[in-house]
Amino acid sequence: MKIKKSKHALLSVSALALMGTMLTPAASWATDGETLIQEKCLLCHTNTGNPEAPYSRISQQRKTPEGWHMTLNRMQRMNGLVISSDEVQAVIKYLSDTQGLAPSETAPFRYVLEQKPNVVEEVDPAYVEMCARCHSNARFGLQRRTLGEWQLHVNTHMAINPTTELHALARDRDWYDIAYNDVVPKLAVDYAFNDPAWNQWQAKVKPSLNGSWSVAGFMPGKGDYSAVLQTKETSKDNFSVSMKGHYADGTPLQGEGSAKVFAGYEWRASLTIDGIKMRQVMAAAEDGSSLSGRMYQSAHDEIGGELTAVHGSAVVALSPSAIKQGQQKEITIIGADLKGSVSLGNGVQVVKVLSRDADRVVVLAKATGSASVGMRNVSVGKAKAKAQLAVYDEVAAVQVLPNESIARIGGNGGNIAKMQSTYRALAFSAGKDGQPGTADDLRLGYMQALWSLQAFDEAAEHEKDLKYAGSIDGNGVFTPGDAGLNPERKFSTNNVGNLKVIAQVLDGDKAVEGDAHLLVTVPVFVKRAIQ
Amino acid sequence: MNISNIFKTATLLCAAGAVTLMSGCAANQAVSVNGMAADGHEYLLTVTRPNQLHVIDTETKQVVRSCDVPGTFGTGAVQPSPDGRIAYVLTNGAEDVYGFDITNCDITFSAKQSQNGVKVKTFISLAISNDGKELYTVQNPTRKLNDRYEVLAPRLAVFNTADGLDAKSVRNFPVDRRITKIMTMKNGEVILGGADIKAINPVNGEVRMLSALQNWARGADWIPPDAFAMFTQGEHVGEYIMPYFTIKWNGDPGDMEQAEFWWGMSRIDIATGEVDERETVPFEFIVFNWITDPNDSNILYGAFNQLSKHDLSQNKTVDVIDLDHTFYSINMDRSRTIYIGGTSSDISIHNPDTLEKIGSIQLTGDMSTSDLRIARLL
Repeated sequence: MKIKKSKHALLSVSALALMGTMLTPAASWATDGETLIQEKCLLCHTNTGNPEAPYSRISQQRKTPEGWHMTLNRMQRMNGLVISSDEVQAVIKYLSDTQGLAPSETAPFRYVLEQKPNVVEEVDPAYVEMCARCHSNARFGLQRRTLGEWQLHVNTHMAINPTTELHALARDRDWYDIAYNDVVPKLAVDYAFNDPAWNQWQAKVKPSLNGSWSVAGFMPGKGDYSAVLQTKETSKDNFSVSMKGHYADGTPLQGEGSAKVFAGYEWRASLTIDGIKMRQVMAAAEDGSSLSGRMYQSAHDEIGGELTAVHGSAVVALSPSAIKQGQQKEITIIGADLKGSVSLGNGVQVVKVLSRDADRVVVLAKATGSASVGMRNVSVGKAKAKAQLAVYDEVAAVQVLPNESIARIGGNGGNIAKMQSTYRALAFSAGKDGQPGTADDLRLGYMQALWSLQAFDEAAEHEKDLKYAGSIDGNGVFTPGDAGLNPERKFSTNNVGNLKVIAQVLDGDKAVEGDAHLLVTVPVFVKRAIQ
Repeated sequence: MNISNIFKTATLLCAAGAVTLMSGCAANQAVSVNGMAADGHEYLLTVTRPNQLHVIDTETKQVVRSCDVPGTFGTGAVQPSPDGRIAYVLTNGAEDVYGFDITNCDITFSAKQSQNGVKVKTFISLAISNDGKELYTVQNPTRKLNDRYEVLAPRLAVFNTADGLDAKSVRNFPVDRRITKIMTMKNGEVILGGADIKAINPVNGEVRMLSALQNWARGADWIPPDAFAMFTQGEHVGEYIMPYFTIKWNGDPGDMEQAEFWWGMSRIDIATGEVDERETVPFEFIVFNWITDPNDSNILYGAFNQLSKHDLSQNKTVDVIDLDHTFYSINMDRSRTIYIGGTSSDISIHNPDTLEKIGSIQLTGDMSTSDLRIARLL
């Protein structure tokens, strides 16, 4: 099937309310979710008489915790559901555990749960003009419904958002008929309620997520960090958590909070780290050996980065993860409780161990001038990791990530804050063929860069977008302009703009550039847990 | 200045120009309604947030009065009665209609269309019969059941305006989905503007095609047009006008190198029902709405980020100026003065010959998607 590329920048919405209230004392979880459904939901929903699917419009759907939370929010807002926040959490927990999604079902769409901004989705053409012109693919890709439920879902759209059929790409065709009769049957197959993946996952014994974890992550404006994550299960699927570690420059990092696990693998934590409220959205590996996902600021979910936690003692990552032939530099080996001698592979000498902490080992490393170009395995004592360090001859190419991005104007007395965008420079050497951009390029990892902006095209130059749309700092963090009409601009337009983000990586006396596209646009006025 | 002083001033002005203006002054002086100049005197009608109907004198460019509209803002659709006295406003989330006497803000009519668990939305579709006795809306109903929604068929609803407050529809007839602006023709049929443009007889519900757009039969070289309008224009020249956008491929569909991008329109003479459906000018910039010059039906004016003038005889845009900001709607009074409104809180006034901005009317709130209609008060 031909897949059409649909530019769909998923701009994360604000803090997931789900976690704000979910992390209440464990006692509140004693409330039985199923009893609550019978008491609260069956005031309108009905008993079907089928023990396999007992509740109308409920038992025929499966969703993520965020998906169920959105449903409950809608029931409160539009259908008169009266329910306390503790009860909401109990119902979400019950439904996510009994009518959730398997790890393999959420895997393609984790970015939306992680509130990761600037993801460009590949959307099936059948959905591009129908669902994905308003929603992310992840929005419907993270739901499983029976055919009848997908049909009723179209009717819900017609009732709640009646102008749906007047939008561009709807009003010039028989939208309702196409939605109901053409697209729904495909949804019922592609995102089927009865998928064996869920039954198989339910049957599995879920791993314990209790214990000590080696954590590596990145935070915009701060850089790479290492930490030890301690988790303690206080009641079933509820954890107290603490994180202690360092940013790569040595600044300490410390925080505490709590977490909850849904469907046996969906990790949702809320922590205060160095005074800032943060959220973690991670998925546990099916064997429980690792957690991976994203941590972000609760109030600005675009400010966040990937993190990986490996159970026990392990080499998780290096910062930086490349060394040039003949170069001497500090390298931080990230991992908890690393003991023993450090090996960085052939041709890379550990000149000195500079420091050892619970979460990292910092070494002064030197690559010989004749060290062969390529990846090295790294070990500290018994802890080993494959292909963690790249030895390179020169930086040949730089990619700026994300390559397509959006920032949103805000502030200026309005209710909606500015939404920044953040960038990293990913470097490559050319590989054996000497040509960058080919399959044998060697990925060197993220590097420090000098950041600047340019107008994206002639139109942007003419409209002086560079002057109005915002600025970028030395850490690759772009801050957009103020919201509201700007009478200085043509048509009094907002401080929107079409820009190019330039990263310049210095390699000896040479500078290698990469760029990315940035659209600075208007605020998001409707915030959802799943865009 | 009190009312008697206004009359005194008007009398003196008339006396000063008695030789040439005698008949006009006599008429103006004689015909007024509740102190408002009548005999066809023109007033602009629009709605602003939070929800006020504004009555604006086209001669003085001043707001004569502002009437509070019940309910939350709808789409701001406005339909004047044939005598210009009553302004019907769609409100309350595009569900209810209220009729206002524009001379005193009295509410003369109301209809709450959502009833008995059926929610009715009207997508700007308001029209009135030529005698002012019947109001037409297109209703898009959905029914809320205990745990699900049911989508019901759209219908033309007919109200008797004399039924006053809390009126109920007296007739209903099925119509297509996706209908937006509607207008009554001289023969009494109601033009239904949707993907295709049809006319319905509001007495018996008979529907006939006026302008097949979604279902036009031009073959694969043209894409079915995107015909859409959220605003009603044309009353100043007695026409209904629906803009559209289309593509002519000139080869393989999807080959943008060969393709031509066109604006087009279906323009219907409401006196004769004659349809003028054609491409107008190449797509060079966005135009939200067209109006026709009363002196030359080949001349169209359009508005959005620009005010533009187009000559259909040449298929060319002949003049264009940038506006202060984005505007949605455009209309014209009897003297050919252009008014541009919608979006923000100011109506921009322009000379049709030069397109030059000659004035501005500041309102108390944003017009958003509101209509900008002309009422000729009799």
